Amino acid sequence: MRYFQPATLDEALAIRRGNDVVPLAGATDVYPARAGRRAWGDPTHKDVLDLSRIEALRGIEDRGDHVRIGALATWTDLIRADLPPLFDGMKRAAREVGGVQVQNRGTVVGNACTASPAGDGIPNLLALDAAFEIEGPSPRLVPAEAFFTGYRATACGPHDIVAAIRIPKREGRGHFVKLGARRYLVISIAMVAAALETDAAGRIVSARIAVGACSAAAGRLPLLEAALPGAPLTDAPALVEPRHLAHLTPIDDIRASAGYRMAAALALVGDALADLSRPAARVA
Amino acid sequence: MLEVDKDRARHAVQPQHAFLVTLKVNGEEHRLNVDARTTLLDALRDRLHLTGTKKGCGLGQCGACTIIVDGRRVVSCLTLAVMNQGKEITTIEGLANGALHPVQQAFIEHDAFQCGYCTPGQIMSAVGLIQEGRTRSDDEIRENMSGNLCRCGAYTNIVDAIKDAIAHGLDPREAMTQAVEAIAQDAGREA
Ligand SMILES: Cc1cc2nc3c(=O)[nH]c(=O)nc-3n(C[C@H](O)[C@H](O)[C@H](O)COP(=O)(O)OP(=O)(O)OC[C@H]3O[C@@H](n4cnc5c(N)ncnc54)[C@H](O)[C@@H]3O)c2cc1C
Ligand code: FES
Repeated sequence: MRYFQPATLDEALAIRRGNDVVPLAGATDVYPARAGRRAWGDPTHKDVLDLSRIEALRGIEDRGDHVRIGALATWTDLIRADLPPLFDGMKRAAREVGGVQVQNRGTVVGNACTASPAGDGIPNLLALDAAFEIEGPSPRLVPAEAFFTGYRATACGPHDIVAAIRIPKREGRGHFVKLGARRYLVISIAMVAAALETDAAGRIVSARIAVGACSAAAGRLPLLEAALPGAPLTDAPALVEPRHLAHLTPIDDIRASAGYRMAAALALVGDALADLSRPAARVA
Repeated sequence: MLEVDKDRARHAVQPQHAFLVTLKVNGEEHRLNVDARTTLLDALRDRLHLTGTKKGCGLGQCGACTIIVDGRRVVSCLTLAVMNQGKEITTIEGLANGALHPVQQAFIEHDAFQCGYCTPGQIMSAVGLIQEGRTRSDDEIRENMSGNLCRCGAYTNIVDAIKDAIAHGLDPREAMTQAVEAIAQDAGREA
C-alpha cells in the first residue's frame, strides 16, 4: 500500500487524478471498513490519500448567506460552532455519531462521502438543502439530493475531492431524532431530520423533512412537506400519514425488520414534529 | 530546511510505504520508522513499549485505547502513526506525577473497575471529559463517556469516581494542565 500525505488541495487533486487512491479524512470509517474486509480475505490494498494535513480544508465558517463546513471539520467542531437554530438537528446528530472519541476525529464530509444508509449526517444535509463543493477535473456545486445517488454511492467521482459542504442560512429550526437498539454508540435503525419555518402565529411556512436508514439512500418526504404549510405547528404530528412514507424501501437486516423500520420511521416523524412544537430545548 | 520538513515535502507528492516519524509522547520525542499502515496504538504499544494503552476491539468501538492528542481524546486504534506527527500525545503513563492523578486516585477509591482492562481508556476519557466541562449531571457524564465500554459493568462507580475527582478539587479547566505539568516534570526528571 502506498500512502500520500499532501499539504495542499492542488497537490491532492493531482495525486487523485494520477492514481487509484482512497481519500482519508478522520479515518473512522475507512479504517474499520478496510480492516474488516481484509479479515474476511479481501486482498485489495488500495493506496491512500491522506487529506488530514491540508490546512485549507479545516474549519466551519459563516459566509453570510451560507455556512461552509470544510472537509476536515469534525463533529466536535460542529458541536462547538456558534450556529443558528436551523443547525440544532445537525448538532444533535453530531452528538450521536459514535462516542466523543469518534466525534473528535470523524468529519461531517467523511460521513457524507461514505453514503451509508445509516449515516446520521445525511438526512440533516438533505433537510437543510446542503450543497457539495466538488473539486476535480470539473469543479461544481452539487445539491445534496443529487449528491447521494444510491447505496454507498455519491456524485463524487474517482478523480474528485469534496472540499466543503455549504448550508444556506434560512429562518427556522432544525431537529433530529434517531432510533437505535440503545441510547448511545449505536447505528440507527431509523432516523429523521427536519427543518421547519413558522410564522408569528405558529403556522408552518415551510417544512423540509428527510428519513434515513429506510432506503438505499436517505430521502425527503415531498408529500408531507407539501401537506404541512399553513397548518398550526401543534397540529403537525397528527397530520403525518403512512402514505407520506410509502415511497421508502426499508430492508430486513440484523438491526431490524423492514416492517419495524417503517413503523419506527412513521413514529419518529411525528416525534420530531412534536418536539419542534415545544419551546426550543436547545442542545449543544 | 529541517530534515523533517524535507521528509514531509517529499511525502507530499511521492507516495511512501514507510515513514520516519517523530512522535511526541508524554513530553518526549521519539523518532521511529513505521509502515504507513501502523496504527498509533500499535506504535505506542509495540514500538515504544507504552503498554498502558490497551487494545480491545481495534475498531473504534470500545474506547480501551483512548489517549489525548492535542487536547482532544481519540481512539488510538483508528488513527495511523503517520497522521499524528508533531502532535502532543498523552497516554495513561503520562498522567501520574509522583502522586497519582486525581482521576486515577478517584477510580481506586470508588472501585471503578473490576478486571481493569478498560481502565486506562476510561481514565484518559474522563480526563478529557472533565476538561471539556460537560459534566453537569450524571446523564451528561454517561452520555459523554459512552465511547468507553466496560464489560465488568463498573459504570455506576465510574460515574461516581468522575464526580468525586471534580468535587475534590480537580478544576475542570485544570484537568489537562495538571496532566501536562506532570509530563513536563517527568521529562525534567529524566533529562
Ligand atoms: C465506534 C464508531 C461509531 C460510529 N457511529 C456512527 C454513528 O452513530 N452514526 C454515523 O453516521 N456514523 C458513525 N460512525 C462512522 C464514522 O465515524 C462517521 O461516518 C464519520 O463521520 C466518518 O468521517 P471520517 O472523517 O472519519 O471519514 P473517513 O473514514 O476518513 O472517510 C470516509 C469515506 O469518505 C471518503 N472521503 C472522506 N473525505 C472525503 C473528501 N473530502 N472527498 C472525497 N471523499 C472523501 C473516504 O474515501 C471514505 O470512503 C461510527 C464509527 C465508529 C468507529
Ligand atoms: S481498541 Fe480502540 S476502541 Fe477498541
